[in-house]
Amino acid sequence: MGIVLKLGMNWPDGSQWQTVWAVFQGLLLEAIPFLLIGVAIATAARAWDPRGRWLQRLPRHPLLGPLSGAALGFALPACECGNVPVARRLLAQGAPMGASLGFLFAAPVLNPIVLLSTWAAFPDRPWLLLLRPLGSVVIALVLTALLQQLSEAALLAPDLLEERRMGQPLATASLLDRRSGLIGNQPLSPTPAIAAERPSMAVLLDHGLREFLELGSLLLLGCAIAATIQTLIPRDLFLAVGQAPTLSVLSLMLLAVVVSVCSSVDAFLALGFAAMVTPGALLAFLLLGPVIDLKSISLFSRIFRRRGILFMLAGVVVAVLLIGQWLNLVLL
Amino acid sequence: MAQPGAALNWLPPFVLGLWGAVLLQAWGSGRLNLLLQADFHWLVLVSGLLLLALAGLAVRFAPKRRSGGTPALVMLLAAPLVLLIPPRPSFSTLAANRSSGALEGESETLTFLSPPEQRSLTDWVRLLRSQPDPELYRGDPVRISGFVMPTPQAAPVLARLTVRCCLADATPVGIPVIWPEGASLKADEWLAVSGEMGVERVGGVLRSVVIAETVQPIPKPKRPFEP
Repeated sequence: MGIVLKLGMNWPDGSQWQTVWAVFQGLLLEAIPFLLIGVAIATAARAWDPRGRWLQRLPRHPLLGPLSGAALGFALPACECGNVPVARRLLAQGAPMGASLGFLFAAPVLNPIVLLSTWAAFPDRPWLLLLRPLGSVVIALVLTALLQQLSEAALLAPDLLEERRMGQPLATASLLDRRSGLIGNQPLSPTPAIAAERPSMAVLLDHGLREFLELGSLLLLGCAIAATIQTLIPRDLFLAVGQAPTLSVLSLMLLAVVVSVCSSVDAFLALGFAAMVTPGALLAFLLLGPVIDLKSISLFSRIFRRRGILFMLAGVVVAVLLIGQWLNLVLL
Repeated sequence: MAQPGAALNWLPPFVLGLWGAVLLQAWGSGRLNLLLQADFHWLVLVSGLLLLALAGLAVRFAPKRRSGGTPALVMLLAAPLVLLIPPRPSFSTLAANRSSGALEGESETLTFLSPPEQRSLTDWVRLLRSQPDPELYRGDPVRISGFVMPTPQAAPVLARLTVRCCLADATPVGIPVIWPEGASLKADEWLAVSGEMGVERVGGVLRSVVIAETVQPIPKPKRPFEP
């Protein structure tokens, strides 16, 4: 049939490109409000706590830090597009690394909207309602521990690192990280926005606006890639492996990355194929998508350097695969 | 004479306002009906208004010098494309690419049933999956609408897309139809079908099928998705 893409043989026809364009617009117009909410929360945090005094009081304990960050998801409900600017602001204001990363990775699942939608989609699978948030916390702990193996200078994007350094006592930075004095590059001069005790309305608006445009332009790219791939590659390819324990987990992880659906509704999408796949694959789909997908991966470049993104990708893939495998071992 | 950086100073608020206009246009033109589930439309409206208001505030409280021109340029180039090129998704292309999904509540026995002639296509699919005995529905009147979805090695089915959030999660639900003799069917065409529910044997298994008596082309509904 003409409308079914034969991979590698037919160039997509007009109706397929029109569908790509429509899916792109759907993804984008759905994501922009959440991005705006995230930037608004981040800007409010900047206005409320310009020197990060309150945010810096979040726990620094290796376990309590990520857990407290994850718990912030209940207070600041945002899905994966909205939580990037909020996590970035936490880091920029000098909040402990563990708490900020815990929020970044767990908040898209640990919020009331996502948990309610999971319950609404799968009322007959109480184990899923328990294991989804639990798995999300485990992943946040694993990723936080993994990423903290890198120094802040090797992990964080340069402009974020600079802003974070400005908000912290100089004694907390190493000589190399300070990039001042006899070692390293030219000393950095604090920008007026950071040096000011309480930023003016003009500064707040300028930073919020810049952040929205920067993340928005990355979101455009992510939506375009996600729309193209998910329209041109038949979804059945991901579901074909059915009940194979490991392959089903891997293919559903790939599907989660490709479809790029907001975490507040991904459970309803998963309902559509839940009967065709293993329980571990279903859980893997619901755990991986909120952390990383094609739509949001470009946004992470505003927080991490490339090495940090690669560490994160490797860590989350291994963690989700192991959780999915474990569940299949228990339930199958 | 204008300063060299003056254009850059005005660009970010202008782009922000432009995207506010894009969102408002998408909301006002009905375009969102083809892209998002209705529950999310108000979010787009509020966001559009907020972006316009923030753009106004950013002009009013302008700093002496702005930064970050490149992202603004990317957003500036994309906005007119989204504004001027409307979405024209092919539902059958989307459907061909995706498996028919389960529907919320279908694993339970449905306790409320509207009369047969008032059931939508999605109501019928939900019912047939919940209580699949085809003899229960033999002879029931059927009045449904949907688009023509070709299926491999079988007659086209009448289908709808169920959408929870946006087109990305659109999942087709289809119902088999025995079409009247000589009916010309085009993929994506919207039809109103009336007839009765019958039973047919496919691969040794009995299943319900709509025996179409009249088939009437109709315009695409204003809100073509079902929840």
